[in-house]
Amino acid sequence: MADSDSDYIASSGDEAPKSKSNKTGKRGKRAGREKPRERWEEIQRAWDLGLEDDNIESTISELLEAGKKRRLLKDETPLQRGIIRHLVLILDLSVAMAEKDLRPTRYLLSLRYACDFVREFFEQNPISQMAVVGMRDGIAIRISDMGGNPQTHVDAIQKLRLDDPDGSPSLQNALEMARGALFHTPSHGTREVVIIYGALWSADPGDIHTTIRSLVADKIRVAVVGLAAQVSICKELVRITNAGDTSSYTVALNEVHFREKLLEATTPPVTRTQKMSANGLLMMGFPSRIVERTASLCACHSQMNKGGYLCSRCGTKVCQLPCECPACGLTLILSTHLARSYHHLFPLKNWLEVSWTEARRSTHCFSCQSAFPPPPAAALKDTPDAERQPAKTGSSTSISSRYKCPDCGMHFCVDCDVFCHEILYNCPGCQSLGDEKPARTTRGKKRARELSEGGAGAPPPPPPPAPPEPEPMVID
Amino acid sequence: MAPSTIRGFDEYLQSLPPITFQRLYQQPATALAIFRRMLPSLAKIFVTTLLYNDRPIPLAELQSWVRTESYREREDAFSKLRRLHITQERAGNVSIDPIFKKNFRLALTGGGDHHSFGVPVDASDDRKKVSISTLDNYAANQFDCILHYMVEPSGQRQPNPGVKILLITSGLMKQSERGHQPKITQAGFSFILQEGNAQIWALLIQYLEMCESLQMEKTEVLHFLLMLGSLELGQAYSTATLTQTQIKVLADLKDYGVVYQRKSMPDRFYPTRLATTLTSDVTGLRSTAASFTQALVAAGPVAPPSEAAGESGFIIIETNYRVYAYTNNPLSIAILDLFCKLGSRFPNLVTAKLTRASIQRAIANGITADQIIDYLKVHAHPVMRKNVLILPPTVVDQIRLWQIEGERMKTTPGFLFKDFASEWDFQDTARYAEELGILAWKDSKRRLMFATRTEQIVDYLKRRGEQQAVGRKV
Amino acid sequence: MDKVDASAHYQGVTEDKPSLLVVVLDTNPFAWQSLHSELPLQTALSHILLFLNAHLSFSHANRVAVIASHTKSATFLYPNSAAAAETAETSVDLYRDANKYRLFASIERQVQSSMQRLLSSTAPESLAGTNETTMAGALSLALAYINRVCNADNLSDSGEGSGGGARPGEARADTASMTARILVVSVSGDLANQYVSVMNSIFAAQRQRVPIDICKIAGDTVFLQQASDSTNGIYMQLQHPSALLQYLLSCFMSDPSTRHHLIPPSQINVDFRAACFCHKRVVDIGFVCSICLSIFCSPPPGAICTTCNTKLDVSALGNYGGKPAVVLMKKKKIKKAKKVLNDSAADSSTPGTPVA
Repeated sequence: MADSDSDYIASSGDEAPKSKSNKTGKRGKRAGREKPRERWEEIQRAWDLGLEDDNIESTISELLEAGKKRRLLKDETPLQRGIIRHLVLILDLSVAMAEKDLRPTRYLLSLRYACDFVREFFEQNPISQMAVVGMRDGIAIRISDMGGNPQTHVDAIQKLRLDDPDGSPSLQNALEMARGALFHTPSHGTREVVIIYGALWSADPGDIHTTIRSLVADKIRVAVVGLAAQVSICKELVRITNAGDTSSYTVALNEVHFREKLLEATTPPVTRTQKMSANGLLMMGFPSRIVERTASLCACHSQMNKGGYLCSRCGTKVCQLPCECPACGLTLILSTHLARSYHHLFPLKNWLEVSWTEARRSTHCFSCQSAFPPPPAAALKDTPDAERQPAKTGSSTSISSRYKCPDCGMHFCVDCDVFCHEILYNCPGCQSLGDEKPARTTRGKKRARELSEGGAGAPPPPPPPAPPEPEPMVID
Repeated sequence: MAPSTIRGFDEYLQSLPPITFQRLYQQPATALAIFRRMLPSLAKIFVTTLLYNDRPIPLAELQSWVRTESYREREDAFSKLRRLHITQERAGNVSIDPIFKKNFRLALTGGGDHHSFGVPVDASDDRKKVSISTLDNYAANQFDCILHYMVEPSGQRQPNPGVKILLITSGLMKQSERGHQPKITQAGFSFILQEGNAQIWALLIQYLEMCESLQMEKTEVLHFLLMLGSLELGQAYSTATLTQTQIKVLADLKDYGVVYQRKSMPDRFYPTRLATTLTSDVTGLRSTAASFTQALVAAGPVAPPSEAAGESGFIIIETNYRVYAYTNNPLSIAILDLFCKLGSRFPNLVTAKLTRASIQRAIANGITADQIIDYLKVHAHPVMRKNVLILPPTVVDQIRLWQIEGERMKTTPGFLFKDFASEWDFQDTARYAEELGILAWKDSKRRLMFATRTEQIVDYLKRRGEQQAVGRKV
Repeated sequence: MDKVDASAHYQGVTEDKPSLLVVVLDTNPFAWQSLHSELPLQTALSHILLFLNAHLSFSHANRVAVIASHTKSATFLYPNSAAAAETAETSVDLYRDANKYRLFASIERQVQSSMQRLLSSTAPESLAGTNETTMAGALSLALAYINRVCNADNLSDSGEGSGGGARPGEARADTASMTARILVVSVSGDLANQYVSVMNSIFAAQRQRVPIDICKIAGDTVFLQQASDSTNGIYMQLQHPSALLQYLLSCFMSDPSTRHHLIPPSQINVDFRAACFCHKRVVDIGFVCSICLSIFCSPPPGAICTTCNTKLDVSALGNYGGKPAVVLMKKKKIKKAKKVLNDSAADSSTPGTPVA
């Protein structure tokens, strides 16, 4: 199904202009403005929008729908992502975090978001590992060790709630500790550091530039979310470790923005070059869980327990997954962990808007059975006009409140659209109509066939937008 | 007879003798209604498990299904089942009452010839269509009228004489002197503060008790009431299958707004929302409360209909004891006045404050802190509902504290256990009672304990006795 | 005054939320045919209907939905707008039946009539060569429906949070007005062809905290077991299919909020094997592409991942031949040892045994 790629190109080409021209009526004035607007001008105020229309309810519902839709318009091309990641989250626990400019305090808020981050990270990167490090009193403190269980990290972070932020942060110490934690990680994964940085200073024991240089040597990338203001050394740090790209250094404007920026780091990064991560084929075991009548020792922690998982190759019992079999070294994981990231591989296509002419075909949402508004009489008479406006890859809301899956052609409501693209990652229509439509699971196979035939079917997918090669770093 | 507290339906039902239950369970609709309304969810699961099991199941096996942490829920489920005479226990085995079993199965599968789910009438030939909003308006009006009358007996809208008599016999109002308007009693105050469904039941139970003195068959009335709960809103039902007694009841229920009947069509009646939610549980009510309040507000003489934008609650309480009530319903304001110090009034808003004096005045009137809290909780504004704890805990605790200021003594109805044979006997029984949460007081020295219920303890002692007897034989 | 201690403090009451039950009925005609002697489909359907009635009788606000997972399609049996219209016309005479709770009766009629339609629309020739059921589709429909029903109140709010980027899954699960669960009555086996979509459905259910209960009448699938395990559902393989009703009423009756008081039926061994992408084989040791995590049962031809198109480094595979973990040796020797162990990889290796 290489057509999904060509779809993407087509839609990405005309998306931008359409999204502007489409905002007719109420938002016309706004969209027509020539000058690129400054950030502070972009704030939409409810009263601005509401006043221009008498019918407040329709305006509000339209706004809601637009808000839902906005989240969906992500690109749908499968990107190559190094999904086995190793990440160190560095939390600022210095006195700067006691500030109350973010509610309730920077400290509590960043702890809360750090927990969200951990959960989200493992949701998106199921077989990745992470560690948490704190900066306090000029030293780096270990909060949790490199591991794959979200709960241990969350518990460790929660424990910090009882403490108060104190002392100065030391960027260098924390980075060195992170480097140590990432040192042993295998080469097929990524190595990343994410820093939440509230302070405007850093109390370092030595030259931080040496540390940055060694980070580059170890192929570690750093992302920073600042809470106060831009700090030169952070920018430098991010620029150098990300091959000149400073987009992963941001300063949070407010609580919401903070969260957004922090959680951005949970999306697997685009692999930059072949050099950065080797593409290995890994042999993995999918052990089954057993329940035993009597307790026995597990090989990983030497603890007595009833039940566990047996290595599929050598039969060693381990109590926790994912892990490496202590006896034969086979990577043991739950197949459900792997499957969790499949939605990155087979992203669901964006659904299209449905014009009133086509809308007559359906009265109910295919998946949730809720009723659609019936097509108005005007729209029926006005067929030529309706036809003139072809359905576009939803850059805004659909007039008929229907959204169509391009594959199966079923109509869905906006709630199902959001649900299917954000949580389910399946199209209920394509799945329910079985063989009549090509199932998505065969997409990979098909593409492979096309490729092996010399790409006769469709052009190969465009290479992911690759940032420039990491140059040899010269820091001064 | 003037009851000091208003009994709910649950308590009323549990006080009935076993023979009445036997008769109640004759009707599938009643069996279904009691199952749905009265049982905790754990008990429901036990019933469904046993329902198609012909052999009795050992009690211990059923008990072993429940986690040990949920001990209390489990005991609660079993004791409810026993008290409602749904299960029978013989020699450690549990089985369902055969009559209940037969009729509950009938309710689930359909069939039989009992007409207990009401006989619908095709109302399409009716000249005037009775819409749901008509029914809501009617019910809201009727019931509102009763409450208004209680708060303000000399008001313009007077309920029917039958209602007035009921209010007085039930002790909700008191005829002070001949010729004077009756006055609301303490019981009446606490009645007003209850939520809608409880009020209706309180009235109906008073009605049931009055029925006995009127020589009406109690079970028939109960059957009818519980049947109402299984009817569908907006549907007309025939009166043809009703008994004489039930037709009499129907006429009275009309006054309460529970059913609607058109004068020109005496052969059919429409249940209102008050009726169809009779056997709902609390959660079912919340969803209907919204539409009902809407009707109430819309029906109010001054309220513009646009105000009733589906708000189920209107009260906002802040942690500084200030109360903002988005209402212009005189009844709601009158109720607030019972326990708040009213501040100012705006077209759609009343501001008030909870003060020590206002709460204690309410308490002096016989309103309890819990009732106030419940009222505030039930009518909390949707914004407040978003909080985990709907009301600010400080306010709730303070209301309780204000009540306790005046109370140095607390009465608990219950039973005294004494003359325990041995120390172990006493400790064991007391521990059991404590685990159940029914132990009110104990004195280890004199081996005395006071529990709020006896059934479970008696059961327990019996079971323990049996076990010991078995143990001794072995 | 001393009466007010910590125990008397105000705490929010946790009331039982109403619950939604979605039954996914596997209507694969082949499987039902082979079960016919023990449990005909019609009987099973009536058992399920009774089970639905029992669920509805728990609370006024409880709701149900029935989805058929047929060989090539999955459809709603209830609520079904077409069936509702149809039954409304034909049921005027049934209308006067006062011996059945009206809700029960209407559900029963709708389910029966849409079931009839489904079965009559299945042409025998269209069944040729398919022995599968569209479980992924049915689960997707069920989850979308649950999302709609349970979050009906919250959906309007979620728009505001869009700027906040709150993940809808978690945010809504706590505030949903209803609890929901899915019961799959399954008769057919293998779902390997739908591996990815079934898995996606399972994770969606997990994030929405919707338990998936499996009532397995016949056949065996690895993935439904995983579904119930990862969503904390109940998995039950029926010993006596004819006693379906009793199983349903005693094991699958509890809604998610009650379930937390009950001890679940005994845990069984769960098969966590996965299906490979290349041949749809169910494997317990597989080769995984480190870029996209696709599973292969053997290294793909030309060492190019068929899913993400990456040239894979197969040479690294040797490292997974099983080195003894405890032994420390010089580099050269390890290479040798690796080869030896590679050959005997299937046998259990003895950790700590030095290989000379």
